[in-house]
Amino acid sequence: MHVLVLFLGIILLLMIGVPIAVALGLSSVLFLLFFSDTSLASIAQTFYSSMAGHYTLLAIPFFILASSFMSTGGVAARIIRFSIAVVGHLPGGLAIAGVLACMMFAALSGSSPATVVAIGSIVIAAMRKMGYTKDFAAGVICNAGTLGILIPPSIVMVVYASATDVSVGRMFLAGVIPGLIAGFMLMAAIYIIAVVKKLPKGEWMGWGEVWESFRDAFWGLLLVVIIMVGIYGIPGITGAIFTPTEAAAVASIYAFIVASFIYRDIGPLAGQDGGARKSLLRHPQALLTSLYHPDTVRMLYDAGKLTITLMFIIANALILKQVLTDQQVPQAVANAMLSAGLDKITFLIVVNVILLIGGQFMEPSGLIVIVAPIVFPIAISLGVDPIHLGIIMVVNMEIGMITPPVGLNLFVTSGVAGMSIMRVVKAALPFLGILFVFLIMVTYIPILSTWLPTLMMGPETIIK
Amino acid sequence: MSDTPKGAPRRRIDVWEQTAIATLLGLMTLITFINVVLRYGFNSGFIWGLEATLILFAWLVIFGVSHAFRVTAHLGVDAATNFLPAGPKRAVALLSAAVCIFYALLMLKGAWDYWAPFAGFQVTTGRWFPTGFDASTRDRAFYITEQIPMPWFLEFLAGWINQGEEWEKLPRFIPYFILPLGISLLLLRLVQATREILAGSRESLIVSHEAEDAVESVAALNRES
Repeated sequence: MHVLVLFLGIILLLMIGVPIAVALGLSSVLFLLFFSDTSLASIAQTFYSSMAGHYTLLAIPFFILASSFMSTGGVAARIIRFSIAVVGHLPGGLAIAGVLACMMFAALSGSSPATVVAIGSIVIAAMRKMGYTKDFAAGVICNAGTLGILIPPSIVMVVYASATDVSVGRMFLAGVIPGLIAGFMLMAAIYIIAVVKKLPKGEWMGWGEVWESFRDAFWGLLLVVIIMVGIYGIPGITGAIFTPTEAAAVASIYAFIVASFIYRDIGPLAGQDGGARKSLLRHPQALLTSLYHPDTVRMLYDAGKLTITLMFIIANALILKQVLTDQQVPQAVANAMLSAGLDKITFLIVVNVILLIGGQFMEPSGLIVIVAPIVFPIAISLGVDPIHLGIIMVVNMEIGMITPPVGLNLFVTSGVAGMSIMRVVKAALPFLGILFVFLIMVTYIPILSTWLPTLMMGPETIIK
Repeated sequence: MSDTPKGAPRRRIDVWEQTAIATLLGLMTLITFINVVLRYGFNSGFIWGLEATLILFAWLVIFGVSHAFRVTAHLGVDAATNFLPAGPKRAVALLSAAVCIFYALLMLKGAWDYWAPFAGFQVTTGRWFPTGFDASTRDRAFYITEQIPMPWFLEFLAGWINQGEEWEKLPRFIPYFILPLGISLLLLRLVQATREILAGSRESLIVSHEAEDAVESVAALNRES
């Protein structure tokens, strides 16, 4: 009962424009002061150890940093060029290439809004030039951008893994096949629309262009290989080389090297005002100066700022989680659900509904921190695979990102495309239907999520 | 954020805070990376690497929270407040600022109470707000971190805090110091933000999504002509 008041308080605070983090934190602090004997000092301790005590969450700043170096113009443009070379000649080719580019960029970055900004800014402009309507272009990118959190690496998956103590490595692998399926479903839908509506297609520029553009995008795409081989090793040759957190740190350093020394889009070697890029051999001092070059500092600062806002939400959500555990809410909810005679299928429907509603109001990572511990115990007792549950949650978050009022991707697309939010909502609607079908598939066909991790890492053991 | 008469010092603080955030994140990345290289390349490594990185992570976030308020980077829901006319909108913004200040005050007491014993100070009494100092506080100044070596230039602190007894490792009060520091800064920035709302140079405390700056820089590409 008290807990209901707590949630109402949070929603009320959110509605008057209190930052999400403070709304979660203050409600929980008040609750603890009123109804428990927790002291403010121990709340401060919880806050501090949200960072200092969570090794898994440490991957978040590193993945954000890698993605921030990769978002520097050049990499996105190279990936788009490669995508257009591969699928641009199909009916609706540029739109399909946009989806493919979003999928590839999602594999470099762990965030959906970042994917929309990097790919959307270029592709939407290009599509309009080719004669697509702006609405169609925005709808495609808005939806395809949500793949950013489903295709590994993914910040939301890191948060889920940390909240439920499942392996980040498994979660990442579990996202691969659903991510590919969702991407291909979107592409197929565009293809059908394109054939019916006779949308423009590009020209086939030959295998030469495919090879050329691939070679150009190669250094960016190699990041995916580094992360994957690093976390899982090469089957039969080497075992895992580093933890997901270390992989993220290595990825950021690699992304820094690619951006500053190979592509030279930023840093001391970048050409100023459209000038030619400088050679490292002639400017060897760049090895040092690049470390504190204004571009590097800006990337670090941008990534730092995003980390701060995300972690502030997560740290406060962890205080709320403490309230829920104190009040034994997970047990109460579990008993209520089990005594209502829920089976696996109805339980998963309930989870979907909770997350779809919650996703309308909350930032994905914060929502996962709160909801995961509540539904996790029930899922385990009903025999739902924890990895599968995680993927269901992530796909729900994807849908939450493109439904109002709090759809991160809607806001970003509306900004990138210069359209009103309502127009983006309408534009995204047809493709939202596809994501819904996809959600149902992911929910009721667990093998889509569990097959690859089981194959690569062996069957899972639940310790509890 | 337009230039105020106090533009220059304001920019200096901005640059300082941005550099601090960039440096903290840069150090975290470098330490982790170097430790991976040392482990695979040379079969060694800094044993303190992980602990130091986690402390830097906490510093990054707790220090940065106040900066994020300063540059209005915190996420919130503006779907409801956007429908309000200017007057009520400002009233609601002030109300939400008051809520944040209340939060910061409670957290500040918590931060002090948690940090103080580690630095040889007394915790405050009172459950909600400090009502005095508790003379029976157990001194925890001898608590040290697990692995981080004690830098020589900080050894003078032992005379001040730990009755002259030197620490073998970095004492805990140093990493924990970010709690009172960060939250005091948070309180300061919140008061400043409230004054800006009153003066009309700021609309709210929140942004609706995380990529606002990035979007602004590319929005020109697709603007209706």
